[in-house]
Amino acid sequence: MDVANRTNTAAGGEPKILAFCCNWCTYTGADLAGLNRMKYPANVRVVRVPCSGRVNPQFILRAFARGADGVVVCGCHPGDCHYATGNFFTRRRFMLMRGLLEFNGIDPRRFHARWISGSEAAKFRDFVSEVCAIVKGLGHE
Amino acid sequence: MNNFSQQQQKIRSAASRLLADGTVRFVIGWAPTRFAERTTVLFAHTEAEAQALVWNAHCTAALGKYLLDHRLADYAVGIVARGCESRMINRLLTDHQIWRERVYILGAPCPGMDAERCAGCRERAPVVWDELLWDADGMPETGGRQDAAPTNLDEATIADVGAGLALPAVGAACSRPLDTDTSLRSRFFRAEAVEGLSAAEKFSYWDEVYAKCIRCYACRQACPVCSCRACYVDMDRQGFQGKQHSAADNRVFGVTRAFHVADRCVECGECERVCPMGLPILGQTQKLIKEIEALTGEAYVQGMDAEEENFLGAFDLDDKDDFL
Repeated sequence: MDVANRTNTAAGGEPKILAFCCNWCTYTGADLAGLNRMKYPANVRVVRVPCSGRVNPQFILRAFARGADGVVVCGCHPGDCHYATGNFFTRRRFMLMRGLLEFNGIDPRRFHARWISGSEAAKFRDFVSEVCAIVKGLGHE
Repeated sequence: MNNFSQQQQKIRSAASRLLADGTVRFVIGWAPTRFAERTTVLFAHTEAEAQALVWNAHCTAALGKYLLDHRLADYAVGIVARGCESRMINRLLTDHQIWRERVYILGAPCPGMDAERCAGCRERAPVVWDELLWDADGMPETGGRQDAAPTNLDEATIADVGAGLALPAVGAACSRPLDTDTSLRSRFFRAEAVEGLSAAEKFSYWDEVYAKCIRCYACRQACPVCSCRACYVDMDRQGFQGKQHSAADNRVFGVTRAFHVADRCVECGECERVCPMGLPILGQTQKLIKEIEALTGEAYVQGMDAEEENFLGAFDLDDKDDFL
């Protein structure tokens, strides 16, 4: 979206990807990726949230409106949620949100979700690299 | 038209009766304006005012949201309810916003009003009522709450605000063309109109829509689902959206509003009716309901009873997660 205070994504520049990571699984997984010196694109900005269920659809809208080129929501695997059921609600919300974004002309390939546990550092790395490649391919809107 | 005038008489006499015996403090219905093709909302407090109630194809305003102004009332309120109003009432009951015994519902099966959004309506008969004013096809004559006994209150001393309302003469011409095409259409007609576009076309379509939005929040104000006492858009501090007028911020508001009501929308179309800019915003909510139906594989109609579960307020272990 065209917003005046977008700063560092000039045409041809690096895309910005915002990753909402749950504190208990994915954030720990991302942390482990760092500890293991795994390389993943620096385009990803991680925002730690208490649970993937905390991700208000407004966070996503706000991110896109303020110039994010891609948004990623990550949480624990179904059944592993620290709060027992948070990610089940996320799942429904995500499915609906994706449809609505698509309806509003935002490419659903800019919006992803994955279940990544605290031990799946490699999965986190692979996933964000993959999303980064996809978003780069789409260019800037 | 003949039907309308007979039914109008039934509304008037039922309202007069309720006011006369003190069952309700006032009855919410419609009144004529000086334009033949417009009606306005009337809160009839006296029997004389009840005789000013009208019923015609231009009764496009849905009345349910007005009940919310009386949610703490210790008196009963009468309301003329078509399909949309009755679903709004169920919505408010589900959300614990109103008390059933404080509402007296005059069920009025709707023949369809002169509005485009009404042409997509599939649930025209009321689903909850205390008294059904006339029969609808395939609809039982009795039903709803049988143990009615509406709370008759000591305070039912109704102030007489004058001998009826001084209503302007009816029949003056209005040049503004209202929704002219009211031929029956699909339930999600607004959404389907946009779905066929390409991503870029969709984006610019909504950009055009939200560039016109003046963010008056009338859509929120009129919505029976928007019953929060505090809304994020009224906050003084800048929160999720900027205060400035820009298409991007308007869009954040529009999509947020749609998603907030997504699984609870009763499809009354009030948001679109009250929009002063005439924006086709019903498409957003229609799309969400359509998506819910696609995800669950089941029909999803809200407001059919007062005890229902909302899509986003629940989950199923076997929900689709084809995003993995």
